[in-house]
Parts: sequence; C-alpha cells; structure tokens
Amino acid sequence: MNKLLWLFLCFASLPAAAVDGTELLKKVDRNLEPETYESYRKLIDIQPDGTSKESVLYTMKKGRDKVVALFLAPPSDKGRVTLRLGDNMWLYMPEVGRAIRITSLQSVTGSVFNNADIMRIDYSAEYTVEGMEEQNDAYLLALKAKTDDVAYDRLKMRIDKQFLLPVTIECYAASGLLIKTLRFKDIKDFGDGIKRPATMETDSPLQKGYKSVMLWSGLKKRDFPDEVFTLNYLPRVQELRK
Amino acid sequence: MKLAEKPRRIAVLLLLAWAASGQAQEYSFDAAEFEKKPFELGGYVELKQEAFYLNRAAAFYQLGFLDQPQRERLDRTTGTLQLTGTLRQGIGTFSFRTNSEVRRDQLAHDHDNSIFEAAYSIRPSPGFTLEAGKRALKWGKGYAWNPIGFVERPKDANDPQLAREGFVMVDADWIASPGGDLQTVAFTPVLLPVRDNVNSDFGSSGHANPAAKLYLLYRDTDIDFAWQGKGSRPARFGMDFSRNLASNFEIHGEWARILDSPRPVTDAAGVVTNEVGNTTSYLVGARYLTAADTTYIAEYYRNGSGYSEREAQQFYELVDTAFTTGNDALIQKALSLSQGYGRPNAGKDYVYFRVQQKDALGIVYFAPAVTAIMNLQDRSYQLMPEAQYTGFTNLELRARLLLLHGGSGTDFGEKQASEKIEFYARYYF
Repeated sequence: MNKLLWLFLCFASLPAAAVDGTELLKKVDRNLEPETYESYRKLIDIQPDGTSKESVLYTMKKGRDKVVALFLAPPSDKGRVTLRLGDNMWLYMPEVGRAIRITSLQSVTGSVFNNADIMRIDYSAEYTVEGMEEQNDAYLLALKAKTDDVAYDRLKMRIDKQFLLPVTIECYAASGLLIKTLRFKDIKDFGDGIKRPATMETDSPLQKGYKSVMLWSGLKKRDFPDEVFTLNYLPRVQELRK
Repeated sequence: MKLAEKPRRIAVLLLLAWAASGQAQEYSFDAAEFEKKPFELGGYVELKQEAFYLNRAAAFYQLGFLDQPQRERLDRTTGTLQLTGTLRQGIGTFSFRTNSEVRRDQLAHDHDNSIFEAAYSIRPSPGFTLEAGKRALKWGKGYAWNPIGFVERPKDANDPQLAREGFVMVDADWIASPGGDLQTVAFTPVLLPVRDNVNSDFGSSGHANPAAKLYLLYRDTDIDFAWQGKGSRPARFGMDFSRNLASNFEIHGEWARILDSPRPVTDAAGVVTNEVGNTTSYLVGARYLTAADTTYIAEYYRNGSGYSEREAQQFYELVDTAFTTGNDALIQKALSLSQGYGRPNAGKDYVYFRVQQKDALGIVYFAPAVTAIMNLQDRSYQLMPEAQYTGFTNLELRARLLLLHGGSGTDFGEKQASEKIEFYARYYF
C-alpha cells in the first residue's frame, strides 16, 4: 500500500510551470531554521507506562551540514557533545576524554529520535525531490536520499501551504518499511523573522507505545567560526554559550 | 435542577482546566532556565560491591597475598565521589575533576583522594587555546587499548570508559578548517615536566618531555600523527586513523614505534636480562551496528613491549620455584619483576570482542553485553557478561561477572582471581 502511494506521489508531479519541488524544499529548510543559528531543545522520551526522561541540548548549526549539540541535562549526560559534519558523526564524552564515531541510526539519548533527527541538517542537503502533489491546503513531497549514508531512504513530507512548513514527515527504510512519523506543532514566533513549529512529536511502529517530543526555545541567528565544528573544539563548546 | 447542575459544570470545567494546564506544563520549555553560570558543579556518587574468587595456585595470588592471611574469597565495598566543576571569568576557564574513594574488604580499610584534572585554560580566539595544569589528554582511536596514548595513564581494557588521572602539563591547541578535502587541521603541542614531586610516576626525573599530536580530517577520515621526544621515557612516534566504511560500520587502527625501549626479561632461575631495542605496537579494530541496535566491537592488539608466551612462562616458573623452595631472594626478585609481568595485558597478542544489545527484551535503557579478551599466544581468556540499566533518572545500575579461563602458566590462568562478581549503583548530580 505504501509503495502504491509512493508511486502515485512520484508520478503525480506538477508541471514545471507550477511550484518547483526542489525550491519548495529549500524554502521549507529556511523557514524551519536560518542556515546558521543557535537553539535550545528539550527532548522528552515517554515510555508506555507514562514515565518519561528529559534531555536538554544546546545546538549550533552552520551552513548546510555542520551541527554541534551539547547536552546540558540530565546530569548523567551533561557535557556530552555530538558533532556532525555531513555524513560524519562523533560523540565526545567528558569522562572518556575523546570523541568516537557514531552512526545516524543510533540514539545518544535512548529516544525514538535518532542521531539524524537530533543533528538534522538541511533536508535539501540530504534528499532529492522525486515527486510533488498539490492539495487544497498542503503540498506533498516525495523525497529520496542522495546517498546510502542518510538515515532514512525516503521521506513523505506534508507541507502547510500557508506557512511553507512541514506538518508531518513519514520516514521510510529502503525496504519500504515505515520507521517513524514526525509531527510538527505549535507554530511560534521566535523573533527576527523566524516563525516555525516549537514542538515536534514522533512515534514509531517499531517501538510501539513509546513516544518522543522535541521542544524548541531560544532559536536565533548566530554565526560561528568553522573551528567550532571540529573534534578538538568539542571539550570547549560549553564556553560558546552566552 | 439548574442549581444542581451548576456545581457539576464548574467541577467539569475545573477538571478540564487542570488537565489542560497539566498538558501545557508537560510540554513547556524555556531556555532561560539553562543560562550559562560562572560556576558549575556536578559529578556522581557510586557504591560498588565486588566479590573476588581467588585462585590460590596462581602466581599473582602468591605474590599479592605474600605475608597475608590466605583466602578463598575477598569481598570489597567501594564508595566513590567524583566531582567535576568549572569556573569561568572572561576568556579564562578553570575546570577540575576530583576522585575520592573509600574501600573496605576483609584485609584492609583505606581511602584515596586524587585530583584527576585541574587546569586553567585561556582562549584568545576560537582557533587557539592555551592550558596549564593537570590534564588527562586521551590520544588514539582504539577502544580497549591505545598504543599512541603517549601522555596518559594506561587504559583499563575491562572498563575503557572510566575517567583516569591526568598529568601536570602545559599544552596548546591550534585548530584550522581549510575546507575542501582537508576539512580540519589541529595541532596539540605538550610539555610534561617530571620532577621529584611532579609527574614522578611518568618516568625518570629532570626532563621536560615534549610531545605533540597533529590531527587531520581528510576526506572523511580521522588521522592523527603523534610524537613524544626522548626524556623520562624513550622517544616514540605513531599514528592512528578512523573512518566509516558505511554509516553503521567503522574501522580504526593505531601504530606506534618506541625507540631504544628497555625491557627486563627473566629466565626461570631469576637471571634478568635488560633487553634494549625498538618496539612496534599496533591495533586494528572495527565497530558495527545492526538494524536491531546490536553493537559489535572487535580489536586485535599487538603489544610490541609485551612478553611472549615463552617469556611469561619463564617468569611463572620463577615464581613457582621461589615459593616451592621458600627462597626469599627469588621471591623478592619475582616481586620486583611483577610490576612489568603483572601489568594489565602484558602479553604480546590480544583480541578484544564486545557485543552489546540496546533496549534488550523490549526494555528501554536496558543494555546487556558480553566482552571477551583473549591472549592469542597461550589461548587463555576472560569472559565478561554484564547488564546495565539507565532507566531511572540520573541513576546507572550495572552488574557484571568476570570469568577468567586458562591453565597453569598462562596469562589469565595466573591472575589473582579466577572469578569476580561486581555490582554498582551510580547517581549523577
């Protein structure tokens, strides 16, 4: 069924004169975040019995593919830093004193969100638009990963026509298996022209009963030197916070 | 009738309002709560219980329990407090990590307070940092061993992620991002002075011990070149690399060469020869993650300065002769040699294998694992099944069993204990 829907989306592309899917995806990227920014995020992982675990991260992004995320809470994770440069990801643990390579499908928090969700780079940097459908209030984009190293092979993105922001994103494995669905909510004005969802929720048919929520705060444009996005800088990332 | 319905409606509205406020509170987040503070303090307290099942026939039991009451089992309780802190002012930062332990077993009751790290650093620009104080620099890409860990205390292969005490040093860090294929260049020069009361366990006194590391991220591959000049220890140099062949498959390696390295080797009669020569150590390893969140880590380690199976057997024969004959001179000789022969992983060839399952049995935050270390020359080995649970906020629970297997005259067959059961609860604050 999913494959049929996928084929439909691929062949239901709008004529070239209408909205260009690639340009639309780039707009969605910029509407979600400035190309270079800092933000604070809270991750809430909710188990089937209702108990939850929270993590707080300070995140910096530069360009299309450089991301650093510093854990501020809980105390057991405080000081841990993840770095992403394109397809490369590392985790620095202060008690270990050095960084190790990690993969996009892992989750450093034990969350339904994996490292690719937590250290997300621009969708247009990782995916090409294979098909687009226009509906009354939304666009539907069918996206295909540019390389095998991307966490999800295909995405189905539903975009709000008014705000040009994602409403839901279904994430699929190469086998066609639905891995998870991301739901964007609570559009909030962060100032400086940034208006985007402040909440993202996810659940997964692979982890029934579990749910994860990501909340944004303090999202603002800020430029960083390239040297920040290096392994040697990770122990000192904390000092960049204002 | 209307009068009776009104309180009910108010009650329903209050209930809805309470539920709505609860929902809102659940998802509220304000970054202002996490402002950077000029002083931060954290750390953990840990309570660990260990039971050692001693191998009374083993060489290192006989040496370790010399003139002590003989035992079959030793139970040890250890309480640990590790404090970490940071003090900030301007471009300067002072950070520290202390470690305090209280241990009690049937033979002794002692305590130990150590400063693992305490260093002041200044950052005139993002690409340059200068530090002075006690630092635990960690070099190398190996998980269980690090042949190029030139300026650090040895890693415990049984607990590679444990924080270790550093050395007093002055070091700098210069970082550049040229772009293109060469994504990052970083240079770390180090001076590690040894005096009678400073870094005295690093080596002989009266040397400044310069060292340096050059890091490159070239075409998505981490590459390090490391060097340490002749001083308290023989001169050495080496390199490492780490790269993802696929997003879930990483390979790494290390290679180190030590020049004119002395190595005391004994025969079964206790005649010690101090061999001096160049030694080469290396390590190759891989980490693989499956779709089911199972992580496999495998490493092969060639320890250039280690002892071959034959050399180790000569030492065990010496210990056996010393205790069988009761020859005090031989016992003292064996004791003095035991620092080298008895250091962790003193053999020549080892393999390390670890498999860990995340969220096993459908229990989130439950991670069982099995680790095996084998001495390839004498085929002795240890197995370490463990279970870790981190589902309670700030609390980490870990239980593990250490099973050592090997015959007489083998690496793991001559250790003090043949089995160990360990449990700890660690609370972070």
